[in-house]
Parts: sequence; C-alpha cells; structure tokens
Amino acid sequence: MVGAVEEAQLNRLENQVDNGGGGAWEYLCLVRKLKVRRSEKVLKHGLSILNDPKQRSKLGGEEWTLYEQVAIAAMDCQCVDIAKDCINALQRKFPESMRVGRLKGMLLEARGSWKDAEVAYSSLLEDNPLDQVIQKRRVAMAKAQGNISGAIECLNKYLEIFMADHEAWRELAEIYVSLQMYKQAAFCYEELILCQPLVPLYHLAYADVLYTLGGLENLQMSKKYYASTIDLTGGKNTRALFGICLCSAAIAQLSKGRNKEDKDSSELHTLAAKTLEKEYKQRSLTKLPLLTATLRNLKLPS
Amino acid sequence: MGGELRYEIGQNAYIKLVLHALKHKTSATNGVLLGRLVDEDLVQISDSVPLSHSQIGLLPALEIALLQIEEHFGAQGLSIVGYYHANERYDDFDLGSAARNIGDHIHRYFPQAAVLLLDNRKLETLSEGKDRSPVVQLYTRDATRSWKQTGSDGNSRLTIKEPSANIVLLDYILSEKWKGIVDFDDHLDDIGKDWLNPDLFK
Repeated sequence: MVGAVEEAQLNRLENQVDNGGGGAWEYLCLVRKLKVRRSEKVLKHGLSILNDPKQRSKLGGEEWTLYEQVAIAAMDCQCVDIAKDCINALQRKFPESMRVGRLKGMLLEARGSWKDAEVAYSSLLEDNPLDQVIQKRRVAMAKAQGNISGAIECLNKYLEIFMADHEAWRELAEIYVSLQMYKQAAFCYEELILCQPLVPLYHLAYADVLYTLGGLENLQMSKKYYASTIDLTGGKNTRALFGICLCSAAIAQLSKGRNKEDKDSSELHTLAAKTLEKEYKQRSLTKLPLLTATLRNLKLPS
Repeated sequence: MGGELRYEIGQNAYIKLVLHALKHKTSATNGVLLGRLVDEDLVQISDSVPLSHSQIGLLPALEIALLQIEEHFGAQGLSIVGYYHANERYDDFDLGSAARNIGDHIHRYFPQAAVLLLDNRKLETLSEGKDRSPVVQLYTRDATRSWKQTGSDGNSRLTIKEPSANIVLLDYILSEKWKGIVDFDDHLDDIGKDWLNPDLFK
C-alpha cells in the first residue's frame, strides 16, 4: 500500500535506473522499504549488482540482504535456478539460519512442491512457533492451491494471536470481498480503522463495502466514511467524491416518501459534484461531458 | 428460433482484454465488452473497456464506470454486450460469483450478453502459433438462468473477426505493449489517465 507521492518517487527512480542513470541500490532499498512487488525490475537490477564483484563488495554486510531480496524476486518471476543460487550463497554464509530455512521453504513453494514446503515450514515452526512470516506462508500456500476457505481459516487463527498485523487484516478483507462476503470484510476494515484511524485507505475501503452491502443505514454510514476519507486526503480523492454522490443518490431513492434529509447532507453532494467537475476541467477535459452526464444520470437530490 | 447465437469479437477488443490481464499478473482483472446485435443471431463485439484489477466485487467504482461507459458508447450506437474476467490464479478455470453477478446485471439490459473468461492454458500455448481461436472461454446464460460454458463440444460460437489476431497479440506481448494499458481503476487513481486507451494501438 503506497501513497501517490511515494509511488511517483519510486517510478522516477525506476525510470532513472532503467535508462542507465544509476541509482540501482537506492531503488532496491526503496522497494524494500515500501514493500511493493516489482519483481522483474528487482531481479534485473539486483542481479546486475550481484554479478559485479566491485559493486557487490561496496555493499558490505548489505550484500546478504540483497541476495535475499533477489531470491524472492526470482521466485516471483519463476527463475527458480537463480533463486537457488542466491539461497545457496546465503546458506554458505549463514548455515543454521531460520531466515534461510524460510527461503528454502519458499523455493519448494515456487516449484509447486506443496507437501514438502509444508513439512519444511512445520519443522521450522517447531523451534519458532511464533514466526509470523512462516505462518503467513501457510496462508499463501492455501490460497495458491485454490483452498480459499482453508486460507481464511488459517488467516483467522493467525489474527487471533497477531491481531495488530494490518497487512493480514487487509488480506483477509480482500479475500472476503472476492467471495462477496461483505459483512465479514466490513468487520476487517473496522478493526483496521480502530488500529489506525488516520489511514484514509481503510475509511475508503470500508465505505465501498458499506455501499455494496446497501440498505439505508449502511448507505448513511458509507457516506460518513467517504466524508472522512475526503477529510483525511485534503479533499481531492476522486473515489470518495464519487462515493458521496452515489450514496446521496441511493439514499434519496430509498427515502422517497420519508422525511427529507438535512440541509447539511445535500450541500455535501453538491460540493462533491462541483469539486469533481473542477478536477475534470483541469486534468481530464475530454471526459468532462461524460462526468456531467453521469452526475445528471445519478439523479442527485437538490 | 433459428440457429444458435454467435459472437464475433474484433481484434482490438480481444487484444485489450488479454493485455489488461498481462499487465496485472498477480490479480484478477475484468472489463466490459461493447458492441451491437446484428441480424438476430450475431453479436458483434467491437470494443472493450478494462475496468479493474483490485477489489472486484465492490460496487461503487463499477457503477460509476458503467454510467460513463454507457454514456460514451451510447452516443456511437453501441451498447454493453458482455463482460470479461481473468482469474487471479493460473489454474483457476471457474467463473466466480462476482463475475456471474456482474454478468447477470449486464444480461438484464442486453439479454444476449456474453461472458468471456481468460483461458490461461491457451494463452500459454499461444507462442506455438498454431491456434487461431481466441484464448478465452465463452459463457452464455441458458434456460436455467445460469452461466454455462459453451463451445466445449468443439463447436465454437465465438470467433475473432480478424484471422491473424493471435499473431498480432503475440507480437504485442513480446513488445510488452501491456505496459501502456489503462483501466478505470487507473483513471480513478489519476483522472488524467484515459480508460479509452486512444493511443494503445497507434
């Protein structure tokens, strides 16, 4: 999960390295820090450093972190032999290491040897029962084999112990959404908002789920969370602005014949619509007529 | 009723959906198909719009996208005639519930709607260069109101308009053309990006 500013910085650096402008190590460090998945680039640029003895020795102790990063990227790109070489180098340097043991487990996964991987992970867990990475590998394996209900069960058990792991809550929420289990997904986002109330992504995702669930109460709640997203993002988050309009239209539909909404709320979607039009005028002029027509078709209450 | 309903997909519509899936290899992707009904027994699919590569199954982005797409293509006399989907995993050949639900929604407005599911096995063997048939599975709604795969008896109801489409597709894959494709998700993240992909095939 990366904000727009960080993504722009990462892309700039990536372009620079791709075009021979140097900065490969900075790029690889940033990828690690932001925890993004850019395996082809990491493999390409990481290997070029590792295969150059001068550059490799400049890294000092960090050389081994790079071996690990490249091994994982290689597995993601199905270059199993390259991964194996990296892991062998790490094994020679750190013979009894649990971290290397994990990589060996992942290599078995990459080869599709699920049973062997499970055996490897179980034996590592015997000595280190609270290793979070291995527990999550098991979830990943279940998912990769198409055993989604197994993955859900595993992930729920994991979260009972490690309830502060935001990434795990997000993964669980996304799995629930893919299965259209929206109530369960909502619960996950509620946990995330409780832990980290100032992260706009969670407010936005929660609002999306509530809107999808539907019903007057959920729509009203959804509108509140689109509003808080706008608040937390300085007012320009396109999805949240559209969300306000969608909620207002749906609420108006459902409230036909009931009491009218308060004035505050009707100002909100009018403001949202105006902001969208202003944004499209500035940055997407060709789509402005489509936007205007869309807002008109939504039948927003005035 | 006479013969079975056939579907003919134009090269650009077809290539776009495959490139979309290739750009987002680690997630499911989806999009809509645009076209028209011709002669009662032929649906011509002339274009496609890539929608999403994350959180498929949530309504807000989908609703906004459909409104804008209908508005734009309606002016050209085209309607939404189908939906495409590519699963997250390589060996997943099922049409999931979210895909079926979106298909149902489209079917309400266009009863001859088709759902296309990317066939990863066929896509993989594309480079052998022998097959001219599209690398997708066609699903239509049968009398029981559920989506069933058709054409598995060897009698395919889906053809690509241009016979050399797979060769062009292969060329685009080799030149990594999928990097330039924009979907509605990308547009919502940055409205400067155009989901119509006007320059993709230039």
